[in-house]
Amino acid sequence: MATMVRERITVGDVARSYPENSPRVLIPQTVVQTKRLLVRWSRDPVTLIETLVLPIMFLLTLNIVLGQLISQTTGHSGLYGTVPMNALAAAINGSSIGAVGLIGERTNGLLRRLWVVPVHRASGVLSRILAEAVRILMTTLVVLGAGLLLGFRFTQGAPATLVWLAIPLIFGMAFATLITMVALYTAKTFLLEGVTLVHILAVVFSTGFLPVDQYPRWIQPVVAHQPMTYAIEAMRGLSLGGPVRTPLVATLLWSVGIAAVCVVPMLIGYRRASTR
Amino acid sequence: MTALHTARAHPSALTQWWVLTARFIKPTLRNGELALTVASSVVFTAGFYVPLSKVMVNATKFVSSSYAQYIMPLVALQAIVFAAISTAFRAATDSRQGINRRFGTMPIAPLTPVAARIGAAAYRCSVALAVAMACGHVIGFRFHRGTVYIVGFCALVIVIGVLLSFAADLVGTGSRNPEAMMPLLILPPLIFGLLSVGVQPVQQFPHWIQPVVRNQPISQFVVALRALAGDAAPFAGPVTWQVLAPTLAWLVGMAVILVPASALVLSRRS
Repeated sequence: MATMVRERITVGDVARSYPENSPRVLIPQTVVQTKRLLVRWSRDPVTLIETLVLPIMFLLTLNIVLGQLISQTTGHSGLYGTVPMNALAAAINGSSIGAVGLIGERTNGLLRRLWVVPVHRASGVLSRILAEAVRILMTTLVVLGAGLLLGFRFTQGAPATLVWLAIPLIFGMAFATLITMVALYTAKTFLLEGVTLVHILAVVFSTGFLPVDQYPRWIQPVVAHQPMTYAIEAMRGLSLGGPVRTPLVATLLWSVGIAAVCVVPMLIGYRRASTR
Repeated sequence: MTALHTARAHPSALTQWWVLTARFIKPTLRNGELALTVASSVVFTAGFYVPLSKVMVNATKFVSSSYAQYIMPLVALQAIVFAAISTAFRAATDSRQGINRRFGTMPIAPLTPVAARIGAAAYRCSVALAVAMACGHVIGFRFHRGTVYIVGFCALVIVIGVLLSFAADLVGTGSRNPEAMMPLLILPPLIFGLLSVGVQPVQQFPHWIQPVVRNQPISQFVVALRALAGDAAPFAGPVTWQVLAPTLAWLVGMAVILVPASALVLSRRS
């Protein structure tokens, strides 16, 4: 009983010394909410299968179906394209899980509840961004592990390897902003099917699927300049060797562009979802 | 008392079925789902044909008159799998919201809502198939046999779609969270599709996986559909029992498992 009272006083003190919008409470509150999301995902078998198992299955499938053909036409293993592609595709596909979860929390009133209790207003969005980052890093590492077993190797040293790991993170966060925005403004089933279709198109029209000169001539410009291709090419350069600067800059421009367009509508949608 | 009875309408089971089916179909015109179904058929046609048409020419030039002719059965299958699963999941979401329990208290035959969901699935599969066939015509796919075989081709695709949607419906109704299950049921068909004879002849796959590729259901469906579609003179295979039997066996097998499973799941829900 005594401890309970003392705890209550401490909590009260903290609340009194730092107002709810103080940066001091932002960090611990963000951490708590991030943990909440990660625990939820890690206990959901569907999420685990989708982020950890399916990308590996898809990587193996592409390797079986097209691996030989790619190594014949390009002279090196197709893995340098398919491993990045699967990491990026899993990053995009997985963010629909976060988006569906967000819509669920809008429906069951959790967002509204968090809006009226003394919690830093930024912690909700920030925790989602952090949780997405952790999820993307996990999928990337799992896909990379499978790739390493199949024969994928880093040949450009440690800094290049770190940048390689950062690309799916940057790219995936930009697309997570886009997908979250779409989720906040459309129906759930529309979102899921739409993401799946766009994901299929982004995969089969990228240089991770086939080298660009194997596509019909009229579609080659689209394949060469779409964001996924740039990210794959940057990652190919960082692992196998080859041009890095141009695709890396283009990847960053695409990511920043997508995020810049989507972030404000996304934040407005989030506020609306929390206050309706 | 008798007055009450005569005042109450007694719609036939068929009318009830139609009302419930229309309830699934009507919203698709407004909420973008019909547009998505059309888009999915276009995406699958473009997504398989455009990238692969050039690289697969050498692998398929001895077995097919064109790559369009070769790939279309698989494209049609992917399109209806997508349509079937999506429809079923919307239905399952709906049943989770308690409307199935409500139907259970009303004078409706227990199988009528299920039949309505299957009707809605058949509708969406038909749209997907029609669009896929139109896209196929654009890239150069042609039916080379008579009307009976065309009907057979379409009927086989729709039956596969209906059985799959039935299965997805059960998974969705049985699971707590149909939306979360959906991506899980859309990627595996893509993986199976790529690992089938729909993309390239079985000899092109690595040796160790050839038995799996040859015997998995999508491959068998593709073989049957390809035979029904026919091809230009030197490539057309015969439509024989040997070609169709594995497909029919898979379908009958699916039905044999699904019917008791549905009885189990549906009785538990209501």
